[in-house]
Amino acid sequence: MDKQANFKQLFVFVLIPLIPLVIFWIIPLIISVWLSLTNWDYISPTYEYVGLDNYLNLINNDAFLDALNNTLLFTVATVIPTIVLGFVFAVMLNQLRKTKGFLQGLMFAPWITPMVGMSIVWSWMFNPSVGPINQVLGLFGLPEPNWLSDSSTAIWAVIIVTVWKGVGWAMLFFSDALTKIPKGLFEAADVEGAGLGQRIRMILIPLVSPMTLFLFIILTLDALQAYDQISILTQGGPSGSTRTLLYLYYEMTFQQFNIGAGTAVTVLILIISAFLAFLSMILSKKFVFY
Amino acid sequence: MEKATRSERIILFLILAFIGVFMVFPMIWMFLSSLKTTEEVLGSTMTFLPSDPQWSNFSGALELAPFLRYIWNSFSTATVIVLAQLFLSSLLAYALTQMEFRGRNVLFMIILATYMLPAATTYVPSYIIISRMGLMDSLAGVVVSNIVDVFSLFLLRQGFLKVPGELIEAARADGASEWRILWRIVVPTSKNTLINAALISFIGHFNNYLWPSLITNSEENFLISVGLNRFFNSQGAFGQTFPLIMAATVISILPLIIVYFLLQKYFIGAISSSEGIKG
Repeated sequence: MDKQANFKQLFVFVLIPLIPLVIFWIIPLIISVWLSLTNWDYISPTYEYVGLDNYLNLINNDAFLDALNNTLLFTVATVIPTIVLGFVFAVMLNQLRKTKGFLQGLMFAPWITPMVGMSIVWSWMFNPSVGPINQVLGLFGLPEPNWLSDSSTAIWAVIIVTVWKGVGWAMLFFSDALTKIPKGLFEAADVEGAGLGQRIRMILIPLVSPMTLFLFIILTLDALQAYDQISILTQGGPSGSTRTLLYLYYEMTFQQFNIGAGTAVTVLILIISAFLAFLSMILSKKFVFY
Repeated sequence: MEKATRSERIILFLILAFIGVFMVFPMIWMFLSSLKTTEEVLGSTMTFLPSDPQWSNFSGALELAPFLRYIWNSFSTATVIVLAQLFLSSLLAYALTQMEFRGRNVLFMIILATYMLPAATTYVPSYIIISRMGLMDSLAGVVVSNIVDVFSLFLLRQGFLKVPGELIEAARADGASEWRILWRIVVPTSKNTLINAALISFIGHFNNYLWPSLITNSEENFLISVGLNRFFNSQGAFGQTFPLIMAATVISILPLIIVYFLLQKYFIGAISSSEGIKG
Protein backbone atom coordinates (compact mmCIF):
# COMPACT_ATOMS: atom_id res chain seq x y z
CA MET A 1 0.00 0.00 0.00
CA ASP A 2 1.19 3.48 -0.77
CA LYS A 3 1.40 5.79 2.16
CA GLN A 4 -1.05 8.66 2.54
CA ALA A 5 1.13 11.76 2.40
CA ASN A 6 0.88 14.54 4.98
CA PHE A 7 1.20 18.24 4.22
CA LYS A 8 4.88 18.52 5.04
CA GLN A 9 5.69 15.59 2.76
CA LEU A 10 3.62 17.02 -0.08
CA PHE A 11 5.47 20.30 0.30
CA VAL A 12 8.90 18.67 -0.01
CA PHE A 13 8.13 15.91 -2.52
CA VAL A 14 5.59 17.61 -4.77
CA LEU A 15 5.48 21.39 -4.43
CA ILE A 16 9.20 22.14 -4.45
CA PRO A 17 9.96 20.01 -7.54
CA LEU A 18 7.02 21.62 -9.32
CA ILE A 19 8.31 25.20 -8.84
CA PRO A 20 10.58 25.24 -11.94
CA LEU A 21 7.93 23.49 -14.01
CA VAL A 22 5.38 26.13 -13.07
CA ILE A 23 7.72 29.13 -13.51
CA PHE A 24 9.36 28.10 -16.78
CA TRP A 25 6.64 26.00 -18.44
CA ILE A 26 3.10 26.41 -17.26
CA ILE A 27 3.06 30.16 -16.63
CA PRO A 28 4.95 30.93 -19.88
CA LEU A 29 2.53 28.74 -21.86
CA ILE A 30 -0.42 30.68 -20.51
CA ILE A 31 1.29 34.05 -21.12
CA SER A 32 2.13 32.98 -24.68
CA VAL A 33 -1.48 32.24 -25.46
CA TRP A 34 -2.35 35.71 -24.13
CA LEU A 35 0.47 37.41 -26.09
CA SER A 36 -0.75 35.80 -29.30
CA LEU A 37 -3.94 37.81 -28.85
CA THR A 38 -2.07 41.13 -28.64
CA ASN A 39 -0.02 43.35 -30.94
CA TRP A 40 2.97 43.72 -28.59
CA ASP A 41 6.29 44.56 -30.30
CA TYR A 42 8.59 43.93 -27.33
CA ILE A 43 9.87 47.53 -27.26
CA SER A 44 6.79 49.63 -26.53
CA PRO A 45 5.49 49.56 -22.96
CA THR A 46 1.87 49.29 -24.09
CA TYR A 47 0.02 46.89 -26.30
CA GLU A 48 -3.54 46.22 -27.33
CA TYR A 49 -5.75 43.20 -27.27
CA VAL A 50 -6.45 42.34 -30.90
CA GLY A 51 -8.48 39.16 -30.55
CA LEU A 52 -7.84 36.57 -33.22
CA ASP A 53 -6.32 39.10 -35.67
CA ASN A 54 -2.86 37.55 -35.54
CA TYR A 55 -4.28 34.15 -36.45
CA LEU A 56 -6.46 35.52 -39.24
CA ASN A 57 -3.48 37.43 -40.66
CA LEU A 58 -1.40 34.26 -40.63
CA ILE A 59 -3.98 32.29 -42.58
CA ASN A 60 -3.89 34.96 -45.29
CA ASN A 61 -0.10 35.20 -45.24
CA ASP A 62 1.74 33.35 -48.01
CA ALA A 63 4.91 33.07 -45.93
CA PHE A 64 2.91 31.25 -43.26
CA LEU A 65 1.24 28.90 -45.73
CA ASP A 66 4.60 28.13 -47.34
CA ALA A 67 6.08 27.45 -43.90
CA LEU A 68 3.16 25.14 -43.08
CA ASN A 69 3.77 23.30 -46.33
CA ASN A 70 7.52 23.05 -45.68
CA THR A 71 6.90 21.80 -42.15
CA LEU A 72 4.60 19.09 -43.44
CA LEU A 73 7.11 17.98 -46.08
CA PHE A 74 10.02 18.13 -43.63
CA THR A 75 8.13 16.14 -40.99
CA VAL A 76 6.89 13.38 -43.30
CA ALA A 77 10.20 13.11 -45.15
CA THR A 78 12.24 12.83 -41.94
CA VAL A 79 9.97 10.72 -39.74
CA ILE A 80 9.15 7.96 -42.24
CA PRO A 81 12.72 7.25 -43.48
CA THR A 82 14.03 7.41 -39.90
CA ILE A 83 11.52 4.79 -38.75
CA VAL A 84 11.79 2.54 -41.83
CA LEU A 85 15.60 2.60 -41.97
CA GLY A 86 15.86 2.25 -38.19
CA PHE A 87 13.67 -0.85 -38.36
CA VAL A 88 15.52 -2.38 -41.33
CA PHE A 89 18.93 -1.79 -39.73
CA ALA A 90 17.71 -3.29 -36.44
CA VAL A 91 16.37 -6.42 -38.17
CA MET A 92 19.65 -6.86 -40.04
CA LEU A 93 21.77 -6.23 -36.94
CA ASN A 94 19.70 -8.73 -34.99
CA GLN A 95 21.15 -11.49 -37.19
CA LEU A 96 24.72 -10.69 -36.25
CA ARG A 97 26.54 -11.97 -33.18
CA LYS A 98 29.88 -10.53 -32.10
CA THR A 99 29.90 -7.48 -34.35
CA LYS A 100 26.39 -6.25 -33.44
CA GLY A 101 27.45 -3.96 -30.59
CA PHE A 102 30.27 -2.38 -32.58
CA LEU A 103 28.05 -1.60 -35.56
CA GLN A 104 25.32 -0.25 -33.30
CA GLY A 105 27.94 2.04 -31.79
CA LEU A 106 28.89 3.42 -35.22
CA MET A 107 25.29 3.99 -36.27
CA PHE A 108 24.26 5.64 -33.01
CA ALA A 109 27.29 7.98 -32.89
CA PRO A 110 25.67 10.82 -34.89
CA TRP A 111 22.95 11.15 -32.26
CA ILE A 112 25.33 12.28 -29.54
CA THR A 113 27.13 14.87 -31.69
CA PRO A 114 25.96 18.48 -31.51
CA MET A 115 23.60 19.42 -34.34
CA VAL A 116 25.26 22.83 -34.67
CA GLY A 117 28.80 21.47 -35.13
CA MET A 118 27.76 18.69 -37.47
CA SER A 119 25.59 21.03 -39.54
CA ILE A 120 28.69 23.18 -40.11
CA VAL A 121 30.48 20.05 -41.34
CA TRP A 122 27.55 19.06 -43.57
CA SER A 123 27.31 22.56 -45.02
CA TRP A 124 30.78 21.90 -46.44
CA MET A 125 30.02 18.35 -47.48
CA PHE A 126 27.17 19.80 -49.60
CA ASN A 127 29.44 22.42 -51.19
CA PRO A 128 28.89 21.99 -54.96
CA SER A 129 32.51 22.51 -56.03
CA VAL A 130 34.72 21.14 -53.23
CA GLY A 131 32.33 19.08 -51.10
CA PRO A 132 32.77 15.29 -51.12
CA ILE A 133 29.11 14.56 -51.92
CA ASN A 134 29.15 16.07 -55.40
CA GLN A 135 32.65 14.79 -56.03
CA VAL A 136 31.40 11.24 -55.42
CA LEU A 137 28.24 11.85 -57.47
CA GLY A 138 30.47 13.18 -60.26
CA LEU A 139 32.58 10.02 -60.25
CA PHE A 140 29.47 8.02 -61.09
CA GLY A 141 28.28 10.53 -63.67
CA LEU A 142 25.24 11.42 -61.56
CA PRO A 143 23.67 14.91 -61.48
CA GLU A 144 25.45 17.30 -59.11
CA PRO A 145 22.84 19.57 -57.52
CA ASN A 146 23.64 22.90 -55.91
CA TRP A 147 22.10 21.54 -52.71
CA LEU A 148 21.88 24.40 -50.22
CA SER A 149 21.69 27.24 -52.72
CA ASP A 150 18.92 25.75 -54.85
CA SER A 151 15.39 26.20 -53.52
CA SER A 152 14.29 22.83 -54.90
CA THR A 153 17.03 20.80 -53.19
CA ALA A 154 17.82 22.76 -50.00
CA ILE A 155 15.05 21.18 -47.95
CA TRP A 156 16.24 17.72 -49.01
CA ALA A 157 19.73 18.53 -47.78
CA VAL A 158 18.27 19.51 -44.39
CA ILE A 159 16.19 16.31 -44.41
CA ILE A 160 19.28 14.17 -45.16
CA VAL A 161 21.15 15.67 -42.19
CA THR A 162 18.16 15.18 -39.89
CA VAL A 163 17.63 11.54 -40.90
CA TRP A 164 21.38 10.87 -40.62
CA LYS A 165 21.34 12.11 -37.05
CA GLY A 166 18.18 10.29 -35.93
CA VAL A 167 18.27 6.91 -37.64
CA GLY A 168 20.72 5.26 -35.22
CA TRP A 169 18.55 6.36 -32.34
CA ALA A 170 15.47 4.72 -33.91
CA MET A 171 17.58 1.61 -34.67
CA LEU A 172 18.49 1.22 -30.99
CA PHE A 173 14.85 1.38 -29.92
CA PHE A 174 13.88 -1.25 -32.50
CA SER A 175 16.88 -3.44 -31.60
CA ASP A 176 15.72 -3.44 -28.02
CA ALA A 177 12.14 -4.28 -29.02
CA LEU A 178 13.36 -7.15 -31.24
CA THR A 179 15.38 -8.78 -28.49
CA LYS A 180 12.22 -8.91 -26.36
CA ILE A 181 10.17 -10.90 -28.90
CA PRO A 182 9.58 -14.39 -27.52
CA LYS A 183 11.64 -16.99 -29.41
CA GLY A 184 8.74 -19.45 -29.39
CA LEU A 185 6.83 -17.36 -31.91
CA PHE A 186 9.41 -18.00 -34.59
CA GLU A 187 9.54 -21.70 -33.77
CA ALA A 188 5.79 -21.81 -34.31
CA ALA A 189 6.29 -20.02 -37.62
CA ASP A 190 8.85 -22.69 -38.56
CA VAL A 191 6.32 -25.42 -37.89
CA GLU A 192 3.74 -23.58 -39.99
CA GLY A 193 6.33 -23.22 -42.77
CA ALA A 194 5.99 -19.44 -42.95
CA GLY A 195 8.28 -17.60 -45.38
CA LEU A 196 10.48 -14.63 -44.58
CA GLY A 197 7.97 -12.06 -45.87
CA GLN A 198 5.20 -13.66 -43.84
CA ARG A 199 7.33 -13.67 -40.70
CA ILE A 200 8.09 -9.99 -41.02
CA ARG A 201 4.47 -9.14 -41.73
CA MET A 202 2.81 -11.44 -39.20
CA ILE A 203 5.28 -11.39 -36.31
CA LEU A 204 7.85 -8.61 -36.45
CA ILE A 205 5.75 -5.67 -37.51
CA PRO A 206 2.82 -6.29 -35.13
CA LEU A 207 5.14 -6.89 -32.19
CA VAL A 208 7.16 -3.73 -32.69
CA SER A 209 4.07 -1.60 -33.34
CA PRO A 210 3.99 -0.03 -29.82
CA MET A 211 7.61 1.00 -30.34
CA THR A 212 6.79 2.35 -33.80
CA LEU A 213 3.98 4.49 -32.42
CA PHE A 214 6.23 5.80 -29.65
CA LEU A 215 8.98 6.69 -32.17
CA PHE A 216 6.47 8.20 -34.55
CA ILE A 217 5.23 10.61 -31.88
CA ILE A 218 8.66 11.55 -30.53
CA LEU A 219 10.16 12.03 -34.00
CA THR A 220 7.19 14.08 -35.18
CA LEU A 221 7.40 16.37 -32.15
CA ASP A 222 11.15 16.72 -32.77
CA ALA A 223 10.59 17.49 -36.46
CA LEU A 224 8.06 20.18 -35.60
CA GLN A 225 10.71 21.78 -33.38
CA ALA A 226 13.71 21.42 -35.70
CA TYR A 227 15.78 24.58 -35.63
CA ASP A 228 19.55 24.10 -35.25
CA GLN A 229 20.20 22.42 -38.60
CA ILE A 230 18.00 24.89 -40.51
CA SER A 231 19.65 27.82 -38.79
CA ILE A 232 23.15 26.68 -39.81
CA LEU A 233 22.53 25.11 -43.20
CA THR A 234 20.09 27.48 -44.87
CA GLN A 235 18.64 30.07 -42.47
CA GLY A 236 15.25 29.31 -43.93
CA GLY A 237 16.35 30.04 -47.48
CA PRO A 238 16.84 30.04 -50.38
CA SER A 239 13.68 32.09 -50.98
CA GLY A 240 11.96 30.61 -47.95
CA SER A 241 12.15 27.02 -49.19
CA THR A 242 13.39 25.67 -45.84
CA ARG A 243 11.47 28.02 -43.59
CA THR A 244 9.47 25.78 -41.28
CA LEU A 245 6.86 27.01 -38.80
CA LEU A 246 9.39 27.07 -35.98
CA TYR A 247 11.88 29.00 -38.08
CA LEU A 248 9.15 31.44 -39.08
CA TYR A 249 8.38 31.87 -35.36
CA TYR A 250 12.05 32.60 -34.69
CA GLU A 251 12.22 35.24 -37.44
CA MET A 252 8.96 36.93 -36.46
CA THR A 253 9.71 36.95 -32.75
CA PHE A 254 13.44 37.45 -32.39
CA GLN A 255 14.32 39.28 -35.61
CA GLN A 256 11.21 41.34 -36.37
CA PHE A 257 10.01 41.58 -32.74
CA ASN A 258 6.48 40.91 -33.88
CA ILE A 259 5.68 39.13 -30.63
CA GLY A 260 1.95 38.76 -31.19
CA ALA A 261 2.21 37.11 -34.61
CA GLY A 262 5.25 35.06 -33.58
CA THR A 263 3.63 33.59 -30.51
CA ALA A 264 0.51 32.89 -32.57
CA VAL A 265 2.71 30.66 -34.74
CA THR A 266 3.98 28.73 -31.70
CA VAL A 267 0.49 28.40 -30.30
CA LEU A 268 -0.44 26.78 -33.62
CA ILE A 269 2.57 24.43 -33.33
CA LEU A 270 1.37 23.73 -29.80
CA ILE A 271 -2.12 22.88 -31.04
CA ILE A 272 -0.69 20.55 -33.72
CA SER A 273 1.46 18.85 -31.07
CA ALA A 274 -1.44 18.48 -28.66
CA PHE A 275 -3.58 17.02 -31.44
CA LEU A 276 -0.85 14.49 -32.26
CA ALA A 277 -0.50 13.57 -28.61
CA PHE A 278 -4.24 13.04 -28.36
CA LEU A 279 -4.25 11.01 -31.58
CA SER A 280 -1.44 8.81 -30.26
CA MET A 281 -3.41 7.96 -27.15
CA ILE A 282 -6.42 6.91 -29.22
CA LEU A 283 -4.26 4.95 -31.67
CA SER A 284 -2.40 3.17 -28.90
CA LYS A 285 -5.72 1.85 -27.61
CA LYS A 286 -7.08 0.81 -30.99
CA PHE A 287 -4.44 -0.27 -33.43
CA VAL A 288 -1.41 -1.28 -31.48
CA PHE A 289 -1.14 -5.00 -30.88
CA TYR A 290 0.52 -6.04 -27.68
CA MET B 1 13.69 -15.22 -36.68
CA GLU B 2 16.04 -18.20 -36.98
CA LYS B 3 19.65 -17.13 -37.13
CA ALA B 4 21.19 -16.58 -40.54
CA THR B 5 23.85 -18.93 -41.85
CA ARG B 6 27.50 -17.98 -41.62
CA SER B 7 27.80 -16.74 -45.20
CA GLU B 8 24.57 -14.74 -44.89
CA ARG B 9 25.97 -13.14 -41.75
CA ILE B 10 29.15 -12.14 -43.56
CA ILE B 11 27.15 -10.44 -46.31
CA LEU B 12 24.96 -8.68 -43.74
CA PHE B 13 28.05 -7.59 -41.85
CA LEU B 14 29.57 -6.09 -45.00
CA ILE B 15 26.39 -4.18 -45.85
CA LEU B 16 25.99 -2.90 -42.30
CA ALA B 17 29.67 -2.02 -41.98
CA PHE B 18 29.35 0.07 -45.14
CA ILE B 19 26.34 1.86 -43.65
CA GLY B 20 28.19 2.30 -40.35
CA VAL B 21 31.17 3.90 -42.10
CA PHE B 22 28.77 6.17 -43.96
CA MET B 23 27.26 7.25 -40.63
CA VAL B 24 30.61 8.24 -39.14
CA PHE B 25 31.97 9.60 -42.42
CA PRO B 26 31.12 13.26 -41.58
CA MET B 27 33.15 12.94 -38.38
CA ILE B 28 36.10 11.34 -40.20
CA TRP B 29 35.97 13.91 -42.97
CA MET B 30 35.77 16.74 -40.41
CA PHE B 31 38.86 15.42 -38.65
CA LEU B 32 40.86 14.96 -41.87
CA SER B 33 39.82 18.40 -43.13
CA SER B 34 40.97 20.00 -39.88
CA LEU B 35 44.50 18.80 -40.68
CA LYS B 36 44.61 20.14 -44.24
CA THR B 37 45.81 23.44 -45.63
CA THR B 38 43.32 25.87 -47.17
CA GLU B 39 44.78 25.22 -50.64
CA GLU B 40 44.31 21.50 -50.20
CA VAL B 41 40.66 21.89 -49.19
CA LEU B 42 39.79 24.37 -51.92
CA GLY B 43 41.81 22.57 -54.60
CA SER B 44 39.95 21.06 -57.51
CA THR B 45 41.34 17.55 -57.08
CA MET B 46 39.78 15.54 -54.28
CA THR B 47 42.30 14.51 -51.66
CA PHE B 48 41.15 12.28 -48.87
CA LEU B 49 44.14 12.22 -46.55
CA PRO B 50 45.96 15.44 -45.65
CA SER B 51 49.32 15.44 -47.45
CA ASP B 52 51.07 17.22 -44.59
CA PRO B 53 48.99 17.19 -41.34
CA GLN B 54 48.63 20.75 -40.03
CA TRP B 55 48.33 20.17 -36.29
CA SER B 56 48.84 23.90 -35.83
CA ASN B 57 45.24 24.43 -37.05
CA PHE B 58 44.08 23.43 -33.58
CA SER B 59 46.16 26.00 -31.75
CA GLY B 60 45.21 28.49 -34.48
CA ALA B 61 41.50 27.94 -33.80
CA LEU B 62 42.01 28.23 -30.04
CA GLU B 63 43.71 31.59 -30.55
CA LEU B 64 40.78 32.99 -32.55
CA ALA B 65 38.05 32.19 -30.02
CA PRO B 66 37.98 30.88 -26.43
CA PHE B 67 36.71 27.40 -27.26
CA LEU B 68 37.99 25.87 -24.04
CA ARG B 69 35.98 28.48 -22.13
CA TYR B 70 32.86 27.56 -24.19
CA ILE B 71 33.41 23.87 -23.50
CA TRP B 72 33.84 24.56 -19.80
CA ASN B 73 30.60 26.62 -19.83
CA SER B 74 28.71 23.79 -21.50
CA PHE B 75 30.23 21.18 -19.23
CA SER B 76 29.62 23.07 -15.98
CA THR B 77 26.08 24.24 -16.77
CA ALA B 78 25.07 20.79 -18.06
CA THR B 79 26.49 19.17 -14.90
CA VAL B 80 24.64 21.51 -12.53
CA ILE B 81 21.43 21.21 -14.55
CA VAL B 82 21.60 17.40 -14.51
CA LEU B 83 22.26 17.24 -10.76
CA ALA B 84 19.40 19.63 -10.01
CA GLN B 85 17.07 17.72 -12.33
CA LEU B 86 17.92 14.38 -10.80
CA PHE B 87 17.37 15.74 -7.29
CA LEU B 88 13.97 17.30 -8.06
CA SER B 89 12.83 14.50 -10.36
CA SER B 90 13.71 11.91 -7.71
CA LEU B 91 11.50 13.67 -5.18
CA LEU B 92 8.58 13.99 -7.57
CA ALA B 93 8.95 10.50 -9.01
CA TYR B 94 8.96 9.13 -5.47
CA ALA B 95 5.75 11.01 -4.67
CA LEU B 96 4.15 9.79 -7.90
CA THR B 97 5.06 6.15 -7.30
CA GLN B 98 5.17 5.62 -3.53
CA MET B 99 2.85 8.19 -1.97
CA GLU B 100 -0.89 8.55 -1.87
CA PHE B 101 -2.41 11.99 -2.31
CA ARG B 102 -5.40 13.57 -3.95
CA GLY B 103 -4.91 14.58 -7.58
CA ARG B 104 -1.89 12.34 -8.07
CA ASN B 105 -3.05 10.94 -11.41
CA VAL B 106 -4.25 14.32 -12.65
CA LEU B 107 -0.86 15.79 -11.76
CA PHE B 108 0.89 13.07 -13.72
CA MET B 109 -1.35 13.66 -16.73
CA ILE B 110 -0.60 17.41 -16.67
CA ILE B 111 3.14 16.76 -16.52
CA LEU B 112 2.81 14.21 -19.34
CA ALA B 113 0.95 16.77 -21.44
CA THR B 114 3.61 19.45 -20.97
CA TYR B 115 6.21 17.01 -22.27
CA MET B 116 4.38 16.93 -25.59
CA LEU B 117 4.33 20.70 -25.98
CA PRO B 118 6.96 22.64 -27.95
CA ALA B 119 9.50 24.42 -25.77
CA ALA B 120 9.50 27.36 -28.18
CA THR B 121 6.07 28.37 -26.90
CA THR B 122 7.65 29.25 -23.56
CA TYR B 123 10.58 31.28 -24.93
CA VAL B 124 9.22 34.84 -24.94
CA PRO B 125 7.68 34.72 -21.43
CA SER B 126 10.69 32.80 -20.08
CA TYR B 127 12.96 35.45 -21.58
CA ILE B 128 11.06 38.14 -19.69
CA ILE B 129 11.09 36.08 -16.48
CA ILE B 130 14.86 35.55 -16.76
CA SER B 131 15.46 39.26 -17.26
CA ARG B 132 13.16 40.18 -14.34
CA MET B 133 15.18 37.79 -12.17
CA GLY B 134 18.30 39.71 -13.25
CA LEU B 135 19.78 36.56 -14.80
CA MET B 136 19.97 37.72 -18.41
CA ASP B 137 23.31 36.95 -20.05
CA SER B 138 24.55 34.76 -17.23
CA LEU B 139 25.30 31.08 -16.84
CA ALA B 140 22.99 31.07 -13.82
CA GLY B 141 20.18 32.06 -16.18
CA VAL B 142 21.00 29.13 -18.46
CA VAL B 143 20.95 26.76 -15.48
CA VAL B 144 17.80 28.06 -13.80
CA SER B 145 15.68 28.09 -16.94
CA ASN B 146 16.70 24.55 -17.92
CA ILE B 147 16.01 22.75 -14.67
CA VAL B 148 12.62 21.58 -15.84
CA ASP B 149 13.00 18.18 -17.41
CA VAL B 150 9.96 16.06 -17.81
CA PHE B 151 11.83 13.35 -19.70
CA SER B 152 14.07 12.45 -16.75
CA LEU B 153 11.02 12.48 -14.51
CA PHE B 154 9.43 9.84 -16.75
CA LEU B 155 12.54 7.72 -16.74
CA LEU B 156 12.82 7.89 -12.96
CA ARG B 157 9.13 7.18 -12.44
CA GLN B 158 9.51 4.14 -14.68
CA GLY B 159 12.56 3.03 -12.70
CA PHE B 160 10.99 3.67 -9.27
CA LEU B 161 7.95 1.57 -10.20
CA LYS B 162 10.28 -1.43 -10.43
CA VAL B 163 11.56 -1.06 -6.87
CA PRO B 164 10.10 -4.00 -4.87
CA GLY B 165 7.28 -2.81 -2.62
CA GLU B 166 8.44 -5.10 0.22
CA LEU B 167 11.68 -3.14 0.54
CA ILE B 168 9.77 0.08 1.13
CA GLU B 169 7.19 -1.56 3.43
CA ALA B 170 9.96 -3.05 5.54
CA ALA B 171 11.71 0.31 5.85
CA ARG B 172 8.46 2.00 6.85
CA ALA B 173 7.83 -0.69 9.45
CA ASP B 174 11.27 0.10 10.88
CA GLY B 175 10.19 3.72 11.21
CA ALA B 176 12.34 5.16 8.41
CA SER B 177 11.22 8.57 7.10
CA GLU B 178 10.09 8.92 3.48
CA TRP B 179 13.12 11.12 2.84
CA ARG B 180 15.42 8.41 4.10
CA ILE B 181 13.64 5.67 2.13
CA LEU B 182 14.02 7.67 -1.06
CA TRP B 183 17.74 8.38 -0.73
CA ARG B 184 18.82 5.18 1.05
CA ILE B 185 16.67 2.57 -0.69
CA VAL B 186 14.87 3.74 -3.83
CA VAL B 187 17.65 5.80 -5.39
CA PRO B 188 20.44 3.23 -4.85
CA THR B 189 18.19 0.46 -6.22
CA SER B 190 17.46 2.55 -9.34
CA LYS B 191 21.08 3.57 -9.91
CA ASN B 192 21.15 2.51 -13.56
CA THR B 193 18.01 4.47 -14.39
CA LEU B 194 19.55 7.56 -12.82
CA ILE B 195 22.76 7.16 -14.83
CA ASN B 196 20.75 6.73 -18.03
CA ALA B 197 18.62 9.78 -17.36
CA ALA B 198 21.72 11.79 -16.46
CA LEU B 199 23.52 10.86 -19.70
CA ILE B 200 20.60 11.67 -22.00
CA SER B 201 20.01 14.97 -20.26
CA PHE B 202 23.71 15.86 -20.15
CA ILE B 203 24.13 15.38 -23.91
CA GLY B 204 21.08 17.52 -24.61
CA HIS B 205 22.21 20.38 -22.41
CA PHE B 206 25.84 20.21 -23.48
CA ASN B 207 24.72 20.57 -27.11
CA ASN B 208 21.87 23.00 -26.41
CA TYR B 209 21.77 25.89 -28.85
CA LEU B 210 18.63 27.92 -29.53
CA TRP B 211 17.54 28.92 -26.03
CA PRO B 212 21.05 29.65 -24.68
CA SER B 213 21.76 31.72 -27.80
CA LEU B 214 18.74 33.88 -26.96
CA ILE B 215 19.65 34.59 -23.34
CA THR B 216 23.43 35.01 -23.59
CA ASN B 217 25.22 37.90 -25.32
CA SER B 218 28.77 38.03 -24.08
CA GLU B 219 31.47 35.70 -25.24
CA GLU B 220 32.35 34.60 -21.73
CA ASN B 221 28.86 33.13 -21.28
CA PHE B 222 28.53 31.25 -24.58
CA LEU B 223 27.88 27.53 -24.57
CA ILE B 224 29.95 25.58 -27.08
CA SER B 225 27.29 25.42 -29.81
CA VAL B 226 26.59 29.14 -29.52
CA GLY B 227 30.28 30.05 -29.58
CA LEU B 228 31.00 27.69 -32.46
CA ASN B 229 28.23 29.14 -34.58
CA ARG B 230 29.37 32.73 -33.88
CA PHE B 231 32.87 31.69 -34.91
CA PHE B 232 31.54 29.99 -38.04
CA ASN B 233 29.65 33.15 -39.05
CA SER B 234 32.46 35.54 -38.15
CA GLN B 235 34.93 33.62 -40.29
CA GLY B 236 32.71 33.93 -43.34
CA ALA B 237 30.78 30.75 -43.92
CA PHE B 238 32.82 29.63 -46.92
CA GLY B 239 36.00 31.55 -46.39
CA GLN B 240 39.66 30.85 -46.42
CA THR B 241 39.66 29.63 -42.82
CA PHE B 242 37.77 26.43 -43.48
CA PRO B 243 40.41 24.12 -41.93
CA LEU B 244 40.35 26.30 -38.79
CA ILE B 245 36.55 26.02 -38.63
CA MET B 246 36.87 22.24 -38.92
CA ALA B 247 39.54 22.25 -36.19
CA ALA B 248 37.21 24.26 -33.94
CA THR B 249 34.38 21.82 -34.65
CA VAL B 250 36.65 18.89 -33.80
CA ILE B 251 37.55 20.57 -30.50
CA SER B 252 33.88 21.11 -29.71
CA ILE B 253 32.82 17.55 -30.51
CA LEU B 254 35.78 15.70 -29.01
CA PRO B 255 34.60 15.76 -25.36
CA LEU B 256 31.31 14.08 -26.33
CA ILE B 257 32.99 11.48 -28.54
CA ILE B 258 35.29 10.53 -25.66
CA VAL B 259 32.38 10.32 -23.20
CA TYR B 260 30.46 8.26 -25.73
CA PHE B 261 33.17 5.66 -26.27
CA LEU B 262 33.81 5.35 -22.53
CA LEU B 263 30.14 5.02 -21.58
CA GLN B 264 28.66 3.45 -24.71
CA LYS B 265 26.98 0.67 -22.72
CA TYR B 266 25.04 3.17 -20.65
CA PHE B 267 23.79 4.99 -23.73
CA ILE B 268 22.42 1.79 -25.17
CA GLY B 269 20.96 0.98 -21.74
CA ALA B 270 19.37 4.41 -21.62
CA ILE B 271 17.42 3.64 -24.74
CA SER B 272 16.26 0.26 -23.44
CA SER B 273 15.00 1.69 -20.18
CA SER B 274 13.22 4.65 -21.71
CA GLU B 275 11.21 2.28 -23.85
CA GLY B 276 7.76 1.77 -22.42
CA ILE B 277 7.30 5.38 -21.41
CA LYS B 278 4.26 5.51 -23.59
CA GLY B 279 3.24 1.93 -22.86
